[in-house]
Amino acid sequence: MFRINNCQISIENGCIELPDICLDSGELLVLTGPSGMGKSTFLHWLLGDSPKHAKVSGEITLNMKPLNSVKIEQRRIGLLMQDVHLFPHLTVLDNICFALPANLKNENGKKLSKNQRRDTALALLKEINLDYVAQHYVEQLSGGERSRVGLVRALANKPEALLMDEPFAALDPNTCMQVSLWAFSQLQSRGVPSIMVSHDINNIPPQAQHIDLADFYRSL
Amino acid sequence: MFGIIVGLWPSVAISWRDLIEFFTYNGIATSVLSTLFVSLTAPLVALYISFMVYSQYRFNPRWQALEKRLAPLLSLPHLAVALGLVYLFSSGGLLWSSLWGIFGATAPQWLGLPHKSLVTLLLAMSIKEVPFFLLIFSALGRQLPIKSWLLQGRALGYREITSWWLLVFPVLLKHSRLALLAAMAYTLSVLDIALLVGPNIPELYAVVLYNWQTGFTVDEQALAFVGNLVLIVMLSILIAGIYTHEWWAVRNLRHHAIRRTSLKIIRVSRLFSHWLGLFSLLTLSILITFLIWSLGWNNQQNMLSTTPIDWSFGLWRDEWFFMRGPLLNSLYIALVSSIVGVLTTLLALELQRQAKRYLPDYIWLMAILLPQLSMVYGWQISHTALNGSYHTGWVVISHLPFTFAYSYLVLRGPFQSLDRHYELVAASFGCSYWQQFWKVRLMLLRPAMLSALAIAFSVSVAQYIPTLMIGAGRVSTITTEAVAIASGNEQSITAVYMLVQASLPFVAFFVASVVSQRLRGSFDVSHQ
Repeated sequence: MFRINNCQISIENGCIELPDICLDSGELLVLTGPSGMGKSTFLHWLLGDSPKHAKVSGEITLNMKPLNSVKIEQRRIGLLMQDVHLFPHLTVLDNICFALPANLKNENGKKLSKNQRRDTALALLKEINLDYVAQHYVEQLSGGERSRVGLVRALANKPEALLMDEPFAALDPNTCMQVSLWAFSQLQSRGVPSIMVSHDINNIPPQAQHIDLADFYRSL
Repeated sequence: MFGIIVGLWPSVAISWRDLIEFFTYNGIATSVLSTLFVSLTAPLVALYISFMVYSQYRFNPRWQALEKRLAPLLSLPHLAVALGLVYLFSSGGLLWSSLWGIFGATAPQWLGLPHKSLVTLLLAMSIKEVPFFLLIFSALGRQLPIKSWLLQGRALGYREITSWWLLVFPVLLKHSRLALLAAMAYTLSVLDIALLVGPNIPELYAVVLYNWQTGFTVDEQALAFVGNLVLIVMLSILIAGIYTHEWWAVRNLRHHAIRRTSLKIIRVSRLFSHWLGLFSLLTLSILITFLIWSLGWNNQQNMLSTTPIDWSFGLWRDEWFFMRGPLLNSLYIALVSSIVGVLTTLLALELQRQAKRYLPDYIWLMAILLPQLSMVYGWQISHTALNGSYHTGWVVISHLPFTFAYSYLVLRGPFQSLDRHYELVAASFGCSYWQQFWKVRLMLLRPAMLSALAIAFSVSVAQYIPTLMIGAGRVSTITTEAVAIASGNEQSITAVYMLVQASLPFVAFFVASVVSQRLRGSFDVSHQ
């Protein structure tokens, strides 16, 4: 369960007091609001990055564990941005290997070898019929392929929650629809609670919770 | 800076008589003025040519080819370019004597490039600095919204090339002050090229000053100290020259922008649309010329004469015995000083990143912004005071400030502009700060690091003053040997050494490019 309580985002000339957020496994929250209201800042704060343009306060708990004083690398929260930032020096397969947890073990309880990790990554790609791009580099992928590989890589890390910052905004409307539906179903089936920032209020999935930051804005 | 302070600290008492002797020294005024002229003009000419080349290539499919070839072209040592031009274009050079040789005649003296003159030096320095400025523009171009400026200019009815001059040039000029100063400071105190292709009577100031610095008498030492001071004054004049030129150029361009009058320089710009091909051809011609000379050709013969040329590797075989030691020294010094230079650069950049405060560039680039001759003179005094021995270790240390400065110049941009989201994503996968540094930042910087390594290697290979002054002639490298031999009359042997000196940077870039290609994607995925 992903909970955010007493959250306040202070921006220039105003502040936003968010209602308490509670997401069960597989649930999705969509955050909308005008530009400059601190949506992305809020996501970066949840991730553990120190925001530059705003001050955010509140309590974050993930599966009953308070996260405020936990470093980014120990939070187990994944991040997916509009530019998914696939590492350009690695192939798609190695990008996924990079994200696989370090302590993955095989059926004998032994740490996976390099080849076994590659097999695991390939299996993840095969699940979504993208194994043909395994040896490709980022510049060889289409926009839709990048988004899907980005999500697979984020999920390969087995995060306990996922943050998405307009992850499909760069795609054309058709691809955006296909990829987002696929992504939400993946997140739901894996039980990962997620928060997504979006500008597109017309394409919010019916099952998702929705918060418009403008509704909670208070000028100072 | 330390070197300059020590170099300016008089070890002998300076009297009025020394000052008078300095200012009445035979030909000193001409030496100072011609040095100032060439130090100011050559970098400015190179800057203008570079800008015209940049404007012709930047938003053109050929830009990638230019960016790819820039570093190897930059690495060709100044000395090789200067002597290469003489070997090619002097009246006894390969080109004219071959052409005239077809008709069984000798090329007239007036036609060829003088072997030793201000014009030759000016030409060599202007040609050689173009790739350096292109590298600077290429880095600046990534940070400035040039495309949008050009678009706005065109939307307002200006031609693209006019927009380049009116909108882009003033900004690039302002951002190129340090690069201009580096090129001017280099020309101001360059010794090897001034010795070999600079004018003789009177000599350029660097040569005069070096003779005083290495003089035995108290009088000469006193002149050397006054000379160092004058060198700093000359540097100040060049700095004033940079600002004056900038003020003049921007004022003129603003005048054209306001009155919307046509710019004459635009007509010249188009001439540089084939620069890459021409410069590559020149580089190749220089290397081939050295090769031909080293294999038996000389200016008494020509390709088409009836007397057959006795092509042989004899000279290479004979010289190999003498060359092995200097070559090994060059390789060892360049390898160690370039690796340490790049590592220290990474350390300096990382410490600044952690402190979230970047010091001004001129602090890090001090070694290439100050006149080398005074600086190394100060180091030499300290080296002697420390009873330092004359071995390669000290020479490596004396090369480090230069390999560091060039590595910093190459690596700073990629290091600072690396998208921090890559590390953020890695952190979200559980990577600690240092894992992010090793596994993401350094991996992404590998191509830039290899480039920096190759450039630092080339810089070290071409170092003359520090090798000579700190090594005291006991540590000889290919460059010190090449200058020593070129001072004599054995042009074929000089060609052998010049070819080796010019080839070393190419080998470094070739290795860097092969390694760079092989490294891609070989990241260790096992998290060990």
